Amino acid sequence: MTLPDQHEQVEQEAVNPRLERKARKQESWRGFFHAAPAYVYLTFFFTLPLIMVYVFSFASRGPTGKPRLEDWNFDSWSKLTEPLFREIALRSLWMAILNTALCLLIGYPFAYWIATRASQKTRTLLLVGVLIPFWSNFLIRTYAWRMLLDSDGLITQLGEWTGFWGQLLFTPTAVFIGLLYGYLPFVVLPLYAAIERLDWTLVEAGRDLYASGSAAFRKITLPLSKPGIVAGSILVFIPSLGAYVTPDILGGAKTTLLGNYIVTQFTAARNWPFGSAMSGAILILMLAATILYFRTDTRTI
Amino acid sequence: MTDTTPAVSLHGVTKRFGEEVVAVDDVDLEIQDGEFFSLLGPSGCGKTTTLRMIAGLEFPTKGSVRIHGEEMGLRPPNKRPVNTVFQSYALFPHMNVAGNVGFGLRMQNVNDSEVRRRVGEAIDLVRLTGLEKRSPKALSGGQQQRVALARALVNSPKVLLLDEPLGALDLKLRQTMQLELKDIQNEIGITFVYVTHDQGEALTMSDRIAVMNEGRLAQVGSAEQVYESPQNLFVAGFVGQMCHLDAVVVESGSVRLNGGELLRARTSAPNSTAVTLTVRPEKLHLYSSAAEAPPDRNAIKGSVVRRTFYGEAVEYEVQIGVSGSVEVRVENVPSMHRWEIGDQVIVDFHPEAAMALTE
Repeated sequence: MTLPDQHEQVEQEAVNPRLERKARKQESWRGFFHAAPAYVYLTFFFTLPLIMVYVFSFASRGPTGKPRLEDWNFDSWSKLTEPLFREIALRSLWMAILNTALCLLIGYPFAYWIATRASQKTRTLLLVGVLIPFWSNFLIRTYAWRMLLDSDGLITQLGEWTGFWGQLLFTPTAVFIGLLYGYLPFVVLPLYAAIERLDWTLVEAGRDLYASGSAAFRKITLPLSKPGIVAGSILVFIPSLGAYVTPDILGGAKTTLLGNYIVTQFTAARNWPFGSAMSGAILILMLAATILYFRTDTRTI
Repeated sequence: MTDTTPAVSLHGVTKRFGEEVVAVDDVDLEIQDGEFFSLLGPSGCGKTTTLRMIAGLEFPTKGSVRIHGEEMGLRPPNKRPVNTVFQSYALFPHMNVAGNVGFGLRMQNVNDSEVRRRVGEAIDLVRLTGLEKRSPKALSGGQQQRVALARALVNSPKVLLLDEPLGALDLKLRQTMQLELKDIQNEIGITFVYVTHDQGEALTMSDRIAVMNEGRLAQVGSAEQVYESPQNLFVAGFVGQMCHLDAVVVESGSVRLNGGELLRARTSAPNSTAVTLTVRPEKLHLYSSAAEAPPDRNAIKGSVVRRTFYGEAVEYEVQIGVSGSVEVRVENVPSMHRWEIGDQVIVDFHPEAAMALTE
């Protein structure tokens, strides 16, 4: 009985790896062909421009502002240690962190509320409500905020009438309101997805095991909706840090953020190397932070 | 005083979901301390809802739930002296085995060393020693089941509620776990309230069974009472196999089959009520002629309409005139007689085995 078995095993080992390898190769070629258009697109419009950004960051600024690649140096990168850049970077970071935190704080209860509606129809309707702002252009919506926050705007008038605030336009608060408004939907959607697929018997089990309502939320609901929190905060944090339109339209000269500062380097200041160095540095930091965040926070889920 | 207070008592408990659905309808129930009590019924009969109302995961629309004499009212689940083993186990995926088992104790602010000691004991009790650090996802179904059990028992609840805890396990494992559950219950001596749709499971494990149907109690009694003396057709049909024949009550202790024969049976319905005469198939015997059948028993004439060979037994379907047909199992022993389709036979059974039941 043992002999044929062994024989069969040997044969399997001999034949299968070759066939499997061939099948896998074919599979991977097929996959490559399917992805080819995307590869081509990304190479030309993403990878190459990105390399150009890094190359230009080592160039020197010519007398007319024309970047010169001939005498390359590290000047632009060392400029990143200057106090002006540090101030802008810290302000951007602070704004992005605060915006992410507030988005989560406002978005979570809202997403929770949508996800716990009994009928699927109500939930869909509420989600469509979250998406409605996207039906009109972000720029137009930001200009709408400008009207609301301007000296004769509704919000300013309300503030003056109640005596709590004056004109908010061109203040950091205005930028902040704009960012919060702009990125709130991005945190609601992933949070909704995470909360909606939560197994509610786990919460019931927690309640049954002597957890009060709030303890069950802290120990069960919150940790189990972590994937949504992680995804949502990344979706908000990264674009907030690089925000350009909102601070440009709603913030004054005092609220320059990284995005605007970089744009200024490429336009008014005509200092492409410094703009490139800033872009490159932020990209590296952001990538590192994202990897770190995903590594530490999602592994337990 | 404490000896006679039931562990759980329900009085006039009704649960409605919306306007239309009545999940549990006016249920009165007393479960004694230390009892293994089963709620048995088909899906949608309200057994799980009843259990959830005891746990506090649902609140009755009407009526009262008492645990050891204490009115529960709208008391939330975390303030009730009961714990639940959920149907799908509901183990916390973000905690390991020890974390799951210790959850209830930590929520009660038991100190760390005490938690460690009791978690260790509970894990030993369900024989999972050495798996404390495992994630629930890395456990087999049977092991997950034990974790769920340990997680509830570690809190030493006064009453343990089990919602079809063995439903997801394969047959063999289920039988092992049945015995194990029963052993654990004997060992720790607390009240078990066990929800199941599996009548075999309920019969083998329970001290008493409440059979439920459409939100109402169909019968409450010991396994033997429910099996041997079902109070109505639903219980007779749901618990075990049953043969049915249409009949009419003639007088107390006597019925006439539709189409003729007068038989002795246990009756409770008034005279001339249309009833269904029920007999367990294992209590029926087949004979070729009336002369062979023992005297002083019920003997009905019939003809074989189907024969099914099962290996260890042969099952005959015997048509009894217009009142219906019965299935008789004949054990495959050397002396077994073989009947062919169309043969005239005598179906014999003891009058005590026959019950005249109504809906």
